[in-house]
Amino acid sequence: MDQLEKMIKDMVLEQMGKKPATSSASLGGGYTHADYPLGEKRPEVLKTPTGKSINEITLDGVISGNITSQDVRIRPETLEMQAQVAESRGRSEFASNLRRAAELIEIPDERLLEMYIALRPYQSTKQDLLNMAREMREKYNANITASLVEEAAQVYESRGRLKKA
Amino acid sequence: MKSKRFEVLSQRMVNQDGFVKEWPEVGMVAMDGPADPKPSIKVVNGKVTELDGKQRADFDMIDTFIADHAIKLGRAEEVCNMCSIKIAKMLCDVNVSREEIVAITTAMTPAKICEVMSKLNVVEMMMAMQKMRARRTPSIQCHITNVKDNPVLIAADAAEGSYRGFSEMETTVGIARYAPFNAIAILLGAQVGSPGVMTQCAVEEATELELGIRGITSYAETVSIYGTEPVFIDGDDTPWSKAFLASAYASRGLKMRFTSGTGSEVLMGYAEGKSMLYLEARCVFIAKGAGVQGLQNGSISCIGVPGAVPSGIRAVLAENLIASCLDLEVASGNDQTFSHSDMRRTARLLMQFLPGTDYICSGFSGVPNYDNMFAGSNVDAEDFDDFLVIQRDLRVDGGLRPVSEEEVVALRNKAAKALQALFKELNLSIITDEEVEAATYAHGSKDMPNRDVVADLKAAGQMMDRGITGIDIVKGLAKAGYQDIANNVLNMLKQRVSGDYLHTSSFLTNDFKIVSAVNDVNDYKGPGSGYRLEGERWEQVKNIPAAVDANELV
Repeated sequence: MDQLEKMIKDMVLEQMGKKPATSSASLGGGYTHADYPLGEKRPEVLKTPTGKSINEITLDGVISGNITSQDVRIRPETLEMQAQVAESRGRSEFASNLRRAAELIEIPDERLLEMYIALRPYQSTKQDLLNMAREMREKYNANITASLVEEAAQVYESRGRLKKA
Repeated sequence: MKSKRFEVLSQRMVNQDGFVKEWPEVGMVAMDGPADPKPSIKVVNGKVTELDGKQRADFDMIDTFIADHAIKLGRAEEVCNMCSIKIAKMLCDVNVSREEIVAITTAMTPAKICEVMSKLNVVEMMMAMQKMRARRTPSIQCHITNVKDNPVLIAADAAEGSYRGFSEMETTVGIARYAPFNAIAILLGAQVGSPGVMTQCAVEEATELELGIRGITSYAETVSIYGTEPVFIDGDDTPWSKAFLASAYASRGLKMRFTSGTGSEVLMGYAEGKSMLYLEARCVFIAKGAGVQGLQNGSISCIGVPGAVPSGIRAVLAENLIASCLDLEVASGNDQTFSHSDMRRTARLLMQFLPGTDYICSGFSGVPNYDNMFAGSNVDAEDFDDFLVIQRDLRVDGGLRPVSEEEVVALRNKAAKALQALFKELNLSIITDEEVEAATYAHGSKDMPNRDVVADLKAAGQMMDRGITGIDIVKGLAKAGYQDIANNVLNMLKQRVSGDYLHTSSFLTNDFKIVSAVNDVNDYKGPGSGYRLEGERWEQVKNIPAAVDANELV
């Protein structure tokens, strides 16, 4: 639905004394369950990592080579929108997970898997984990995830789950 | 003299099941273990200093993770002091909304929620589940596997499974290197039978994640967590590594849930003398704290353990209910062979079937029991018609629909043929016309000719080396003339751009509309509210092929 049509519809609904669920996103603020599913209600804000619109993902696009596997991935901006939607339903823990996920998008697949393995018990020294957290912060701006790794380093140390140096 | 009565009884199937008396010291107790901690929580300056009778200095890894991530602290002390009977009553009171209860249950400690569960009988738990499951519409998942890892049969069975109504389908392997083929086959079959059905391939973490990244699967659930630290460590993970893995999946646009279940700690020998439900409650809190949208629980592969002790199947329902109370999606088990007795396995199924859960079975076996590579299921392909009749008898929506032989045969054939064509396009191993024919009419892998396993494994390995992705599958299908299936697979890939299906309790309809606990919130408040089996869907459930039309008799 285009913005004008939506505005008119909202005005009519308000006239009828039936207020629609507030979609603060349309006012430039956060996203809520009123914007969900984003794929249906807010397709205009959804882009592929290469900057194409979600509606450009078509069979013709794939066959012509315009759409590649790089396009069928999620962007950090989209995960942030979904985190806000989750918060509007009171799901703050899930929202945090999505925000960590947004930070991890930039990390190459192979490095991501190595990081996971490094977090397994007895795989890393405390310094290894702290270095990994620093890499996350400095190279990928992944501050929330880095905090989680630093926290793990503390707990692993106190519970004797670090790699024997 | 021997009693003839007792002789007959001794031959009943139920007497082939194993039963043991409670033995709390090793954790062989379902709920209310004598050594389970009493609920307590102290919060100082926004930090938990005491949890369920333990001071922070004595916390193990799991206590720490739960205390720091899983409990909404604002009302934690107040809720801990509330009367557990009162909360239990609220849970089954139709006048108290889900929202009001979630505000309380998400502020609880593991011991507190177990204390509340201990006040409920199974009917009360079912009343609570009806209200507390996150999504309004119930649904169901199936397993599609076979002992030969035959991809043609997987494609045909997946087409039938998705057509029968399963909204998620899971495969796994006998031989690990078959994983890419099984994953492609289930994806393709799903999109033939009913577009929008999500698929997964349960294999070791690295391969599973890679298949997901490539767009060959759309979700994952076999990410196991445990309720004691030694078992978690034996599983080669920690709550932090699993939380990281959860974010890794979401970063690649993949839906995921964790898996846990009563009995796993006993089986692995480190139950620390606690009841199965208390340890499972800790798992549910870990899942909550890690921020995954959902949990597969209900004992799962350990069902024999709670199944052997008194009140064990009640504890299994309680663990599902705890997940729902923490506002997580619950894929509620009923997924492994549980009893030799048909009566007993039905009773076990009804606990989730009657109230409805997000996924009533997290593995109804869409194939014969002998082909189920998850060690059989509580309900198998042989039970399809029984399940449909129970839905119809009780007017309860278990998620399946009646089908005709003609439709099923046609879809199986289409899926097998399409896989044959796709394999050719992608230069994988050969699928013969004979195999397509066999898969079309097969009940299980016993009806299939053998494949050249060496050639398959070589081709599967090359497929991974060549970097084949979901987009290549779309192209291959289109080139082979299957535009409709190509479009459906592409639509599945498109989901990861919007991320709408990452949310709690999602499934996709056959026109790719998302249904989740964000836009289909469970609003049950007693008779006349919540999900009702009615309208078109009830007409569908009513009309099983076996029902005779009286008008046609005259």
